[in-house]
Amino acid sequence: MRLSCPRENEVRGLVELGQWPAAADPELSAHVSTCRACGDLVLVSQAFQKARTQTLAAAKLPPPGILFWRAQLRRRNAAVERLTRPLLGAEIFALVAALVAASGFTGFEARHGIAWLTWLDHLGQTGGLHWNALLSTVTPDQSWTWMILLPAFAGLALLGGLAVYLASERQ
Amino acid sequence: MATSVIATMSWEFALPGAFAGGAVDAAGERACESPMDDEAFAAFYSRSARPLWAYLARCSSDPALAEDLMQESYVRFLCAAGAPSLFAEGEAAARLYLFRIATNLLRDHWRRPRAASIEEIPEEFFAVQSRAEQTDSQILLGPALRRMKPRERQLLWLAHAEGYSHREIAQVTGLAAASIRLLLFRARHKIAALLRNQNPPDRREA
Repeated sequence: MRLSCPRENEVRGLVELGQWPAAADPELSAHVSTCRACGDLVLVSQAFQKARTQTLAAAKLPPPGILFWRAQLRRRNAAVERLTRPLLGAEIFALVAALVAASGFTGFEARHGIAWLTWLDHLGQTGGLHWNALLSTVTPDQSWTWMILLPAFAGLALLGGLAVYLASERQ
Repeated sequence: MATSVIATMSWEFALPGAFAGGAVDAAGERACESPMDDEAFAAFYSRSARPLWAYLARCSSDPALAEDLMQESYVRFLCAAGAPSLFAEGEAAARLYLFRIATNLLRDHWRRPRAASIEEIPEEFFAVQSRAEQTDSQILLGPALRRMKPRERQLLWLAHAEGYSHREIAQVTGLAAASIRLLLFRARHKIAALLRNQNPPDRREA
């Protein structure tokens, strides 16, 4: 069977214009009645065009403003998501830095004796938190420990603040 | 001066909104610029929404699904960075792009495991309650379409209801342009046989 007929375009044009069979010459009508491909084309095209006309009338459409607003909202959310994506890297970096600092501090304390345990014992004996009790645990030969502790505490405070900010920003 | 500007930019990058006075909001507003304004969209929508809904409804046999997919198609069209501009590429290109989005959504819907097979969905919407209300096309095309495969429905609707060329159908469906001719021929031959079988010669003549 032939995939197409040479007169198919001619027939298709008349059907699409809605002029079949009124505007068709008798010779073309006779051809369609004998050509299976053209006969199929006329039958199917007419059925689909009728169905299209009836289906178009049945459509219940939402107002375009709603769709435009939804699209704007989605584009805005996508843009904000793109902009805030690099912050994930900053969060991971902050977490790694905090873990390194904490593990370094713990390792240092483990190697040099856990001085703050002594301070804790002393705190238990005095029954309250006194700044002097904290200072008394630091012997003169260990004063350089503050050179490590202070930046570590400052770093942790900064990272904590950053984490709180990021959490609130995301919300 | 330059150092402070660089420092400010880096802080804005790290902490958007904190120092920039709502940099995210501004960027969000810029990103909301659609390929067309709301008036142009409303005009385009009024011309293209009904044909798109008809295509989706007839291919899916589910008007509610067609409405959902139609809305999603327009939202994606407005959000797509590569969507053709109405002014540069013209409305025909924009409409083809829209139909392609809808076709992909329809295909995704059919691929979902929880979705029922298209062959199992009755064409309830088009089967009017009273037989007296049924028109010829509803009586004839509905049952015949139900017996066609989803891809055949799409090809037939695009070719014979929308009047798209083989090249345009290839753009919408993502199939090779060379194969459209053969697929369409087979689908047309199949549905024509179905229509002839359910439409006896005496009724056709009447």
